Amino acid sequence: MEKVTFTIDGRQVSVAKGTTVLQAAIEHGIQIPYYCYHPGLGVDGSCRVCLVKIEKMPKLQVSCSVVATEGMVVDTRSPEVVEARAGVFEFLLINHPLDCPVCDKGGECPLQDFSYAFGRKESRMEFPRRTFDGEGVRADVDFGPTLMLNRNRCIMCTRCARFMRDVAGDEQIGIIDRGYGSEIATFREEGVHSVLSGNLMDVCPVGAITTRDYRFKSRPWDNPNAVDTICTGCEKGCNITVWIKAKPEWAKGSQLARITPRYNADVNQYWMCDIGRFGYHWVEGAERLSAPLVRKADGALEATTWDAALKALADRLGRADWGGVRFALSAHASHEEMFALGRLAMALVGDAAQSSIGVGWNVSAKPQAGATRFTVPDVDAPNVGGARAFGLVEGERPTPTVASLRAEVEAGRVKALYVLDPGPAGAIGDLSWAVAARKDGRLPLLIAQGPVATDVTRAADIVLPGCAWVEKDASYANMQGRLQAASQGILPPGDARDDWRILADVAAALGVPLGYDSAHEVRQAIAATLGSEPAVAGIAALEFRRPAPAATWLQASNPMERLKWDFLFQDVLPLKFENTRDPGHRAGEKT
Amino acid sequence: MRLPEPVLTPHVKKPHGHTLEHYLQTGGYQALRKALALTPDQVIEQVKQSGLRGRGGAGFPTGMKWGFVPKDSPKPKYLCVNADESEPGTFKDHVLMERNPHLLFEGCVIACRSIGAKVAYIYIRGEFYHVQRVLEAELEKARAAGYVGKNILGSGVDCDIWVHRGAGAYEAGEESALLESLEGKRAQPRLRPPFPAVVGLYGCPTIINNVETICNVPVIFDRGAEWFASIGPEKNTGPKLYCISGHVARPGVYETSMDVTLRELIYDYAGGIPGGRALKAVIPGGSSVNVLTPEALDAQASFDGLVKAGSMLGSAAIMVMDETTDMVWAATNLIHFYKHESCGKCTPCREGSDWMHKVLQKILRGEGSMRDIDLLLGIANNIGGKTLCPFGDAEIAPVVGMLQHFRGEFEHYVREGRSLVPLAPWRAREPAGAHAH
Amino acid sequence: MSFHPQMPYGTPQWHRSERVLADEGPPFAFTPENRQKLEEIASHYPPERRVSAVLPALYLVQEQQTHLTGNAMAHVAEVIGCSRAHVEDVASYYVMFFTKPVGKYVLQVCRTLACALNGAEHVTAELCRQLGVAPGGTDAAGEFTVMEMECLGACDRAPVVMVNNEHWHECQSPEAIQALIRDLREKGVAALTGCHHTKE
Repeated sequence: MEKVTFTIDGRQVSVAKGTTVLQAAIEHGIQIPYYCYHPGLGVDGSCRVCLVKIEKMPKLQVSCSVVATEGMVVDTRSPEVVEARAGVFEFLLINHPLDCPVCDKGGECPLQDFSYAFGRKESRMEFPRRTFDGEGVRADVDFGPTLMLNRNRCIMCTRCARFMRDVAGDEQIGIIDRGYGSEIATFREEGVHSVLSGNLMDVCPVGAITTRDYRFKSRPWDNPNAVDTICTGCEKGCNITVWIKAKPEWAKGSQLARITPRYNADVNQYWMCDIGRFGYHWVEGAERLSAPLVRKADGALEATTWDAALKALADRLGRADWGGVRFALSAHASHEEMFALGRLAMALVGDAAQSSIGVGWNVSAKPQAGATRFTVPDVDAPNVGGARAFGLVEGERPTPTVASLRAEVEAGRVKALYVLDPGPAGAIGDLSWAVAARKDGRLPLLIAQGPVATDVTRAADIVLPGCAWVEKDASYANMQGRLQAASQGILPPGDARDDWRILADVAAALGVPLGYDSAHEVRQAIAATLGSEPAVAGIAALEFRRPAPAATWLQASNPMERLKWDFLFQDVLPLKFENTRDPGHRAGEKT
Repeated sequence: MRLPEPVLTPHVKKPHGHTLEHYLQTGGYQALRKALALTPDQVIEQVKQSGLRGRGGAGFPTGMKWGFVPKDSPKPKYLCVNADESEPGTFKDHVLMERNPHLLFEGCVIACRSIGAKVAYIYIRGEFYHVQRVLEAELEKARAAGYVGKNILGSGVDCDIWVHRGAGAYEAGEESALLESLEGKRAQPRLRPPFPAVVGLYGCPTIINNVETICNVPVIFDRGAEWFASIGPEKNTGPKLYCISGHVARPGVYETSMDVTLRELIYDYAGGIPGGRALKAVIPGGSSVNVLTPEALDAQASFDGLVKAGSMLGSAAIMVMDETTDMVWAATNLIHFYKHESCGKCTPCREGSDWMHKVLQKILRGEGSMRDIDLLLGIANNIGGKTLCPFGDAEIAPVVGMLQHFRGEFEHYVREGRSLVPLAPWRAREPAGAHAH
Repeated sequence: MSFHPQMPYGTPQWHRSERVLADEGPPFAFTPENRQKLEEIASHYPPERRVSAVLPALYLVQEQQTHLTGNAMAHVAEVIGCSRAHVEDVASYYVMFFTKPVGKYVLQVCRTLACALNGAEHVTAELCRQLGVAPGGTDAAGEFTVMEMECLGACDRAPVVMVNNEHWHECQSPEAIQALIRDLREKGVAALTGCHHTKE
């Protein structure tokens, strides 16, 4: 790649040709504030806070729009720049309500932080602030099903309008009025209706757009831990960060504070959909299973211990019935789980193991504009790619096969149906036929493994509580066939166990141990068996993250943002920039 | 050489002076024939030699601008005529289009052909609907007569001209905002580079010229580049229209050359100030340039002459203020204009224009302090040179210029709570609408 | 509308913005003539750049029904092929589009320096006094709306009044206001002096 070398603040930096001065500064940890620029939305040039001095140019330049050239000399700290930048911050704050204590963005707000670092120490504005819908949180108004809008806080960077136009391909947000009266708006206050709406909160550099899901739920400093993982809501496999709440109150409430996208150039860029972002509440919902259940003689399901449940399973599933066991497998299962289930099936069914497993998932079309640059796939499961790699489904665009078990079950030829669905309720697709067959006795035994109570677990004889995706380390292959690691962020509730281990425990209870002591060993076995398959290549070396202290808020939303936060919080000068100001330079102000 | 006779506006007073018939009778479309006989490069060369500089405000050499269009670009090219004449005090293009539309069309066709454009859009401000009707009626005739449209005068050159009407936005006069507006968006400026000559309308190479600039093009071919270059002072060549308004006896558009002085324009052409009152201030180039005092009256009203005098020729809109004018009021009037017309895209202009207006209103109410006067300069300082488009520099001119020359009037307001000059008869005691804004 | 079952849309706990919206208005569609006019105008632009015709389309709406309504803007979006938010965005930007009802005659008085130096303040004040409205307001009969405009570009004829975005009345004085109102009532826009030399 062709490089250019130039100087910022006396430092030599070398960047790819075509890089702007601002991008180069961000990459090298040099402090230049910005609002309208966003790496995923491009350059707009309207906020004017990224002013720098460039040698041989008469005026100050906005660094977002100047492409670095060989030998360029850039200064971000000269008195002229400091003064001009502080002036722009003064403009930004003359109408911004300082209601940070009741703003969800407070604490992780670029306007707060950049103003702290680069702004004036006081404002010369003495007139009342412009208000649109009243003062304080009264101004938080309806902005569609997922969002709230506070127009008082808006600084008109237009990132939201540009996101909807350029990424979502659906120009639902416009600017109303002009000049001083400009405001962000949707047509006749209809609000934003988009499966990508949550990204508008991410791109908003102030608290103008916030999500209803996160509203007043937590302060950023109450989410000290975050884990970089992936979303398993569909076959896209967006890279995400799961934010974990850690105030003492969390013991009473949920630990998952929110989910934000994490940059991956090849998968999801800077974005994720609302289904993944807001659809995580089932993980800590009322329907979670926290103990194994066994159906008693009176027909009621009763919580019990793992030993008792596994013993009951071994008792109910006589060796003579093994050949008649069938498996319904959700495509929410990870590689490890699919592989372990395959091994269990081979131990029970023998050579016919492959045909004893039916794989299920849901397919749903998402309402999106044709021009969108971020397509949410129809397949609502993360690991159809894995099922294909393991030979459980076939073809370029496989279709669910779980219904192929139906005829056998309804004919009463199946001795036991083992359902493994680690996804949210119903993620495996329609199993009402199995429930009905169990109820009328055509299916003698129904074993259900999964994290939540569903119609299937309610009809089952034995229920084995598993983990949600965020409670275990597991690997998946997305629609591109890319192997990705989902890391554990929180502990599973009660006695719930990692799903591959449940399968291993079941095998052991039946007297056919799989021989794995850890998920890593399962992955090693996968590598040994299927190492050349692209969807699993490198699986033994896969690295999993651990919840890490988010010393830098928004640490993981994307690397560019992360850099910004890194340098801001580690390197704020205690004296701000006052010390670089020439007192005589402050035009128009008496001191 | 002083312009011996009007060449852009010779027939404005004649009732049918704007028609195709009249234009042809007076030698119209002969320049087009001459230009069609030359190669596009030769045309550009002639325009360069004429020394024609853009009449919209910046005074950029027209021939050089045309030369920026990439010749090898496979994309279509466009000419956009900036007829969004909205600089306060300016009404020359209004007269040119209404009274001499074929001169504009002829210039458009020559310009289009030289840059390889097949379409020209005349972006006319929304308030000029009556002008649009004149233009469209005359365009129809020109098309029928083969001066516009396909295969012009049998030369094989195609050039269509369309009139596009704006809807009330000063900012649409800024060239990139004009393109945005023409693309059906709000008139907000674009970041440059890339410049419109490379990436303009619809992402294609585009030249944007002022109406008067384009109207000068046929003159160059009619009378020759040498003749054109001989008119007026060096580097400020060719005929020039001046719009004189305010406190003068005969306000109007006057055509002469740029060796004329402000004094001649105000006292000879426009008949001086009525009632024998004294001149107090003159804004020589539209509200976006610095105000001048009577000491500067002998400055040459040319691009370079007015820069030397501490101001700019701008759109050559000369607004004359006599001794009855309250300069604090005048500054507030103009800042109200800029506050109203700020597009709101970039921070300093959006926030600063309103802030300056509020501070000025406070001073005007007699509630200001000396600190407010300094604050005005401070705000202006934070806007100047830091905005996305030249609007920011324009909007501070009334404040900075007025404070430079008339600071005493501002201080009088602060000390005494009222104006230094008595309320003029042309002012309403209660400024109507002061409360509504 | 909501695809989030846990986030029902429009529940009362989320209050609506106080933004003053254009009224929804009666159902709107261009008349065949106006639709044809619009198609003719749209043909001036490359076919994939049809959105260039959004300003002319909004003018046509105002010709058809004096001001822009929600339904009209939605119709323009459909006809032009852009989003409704885009149409509202553009319509709100330009001062010559009326997003609330106006009188039969909209009297647009220039207020910028050249006109103000020649007494525009008196003209506005007198118009408001005689019609009993504040600037921006419409009289009780819905006949006249008085608006202040920024520089209209006829400074040699100051003070200038434009009527209904297109008709001009120049060199106004407070004394002439009574006659202007009377003439407009009696003769309509034909009473206006026109601009420069268009009256021949």
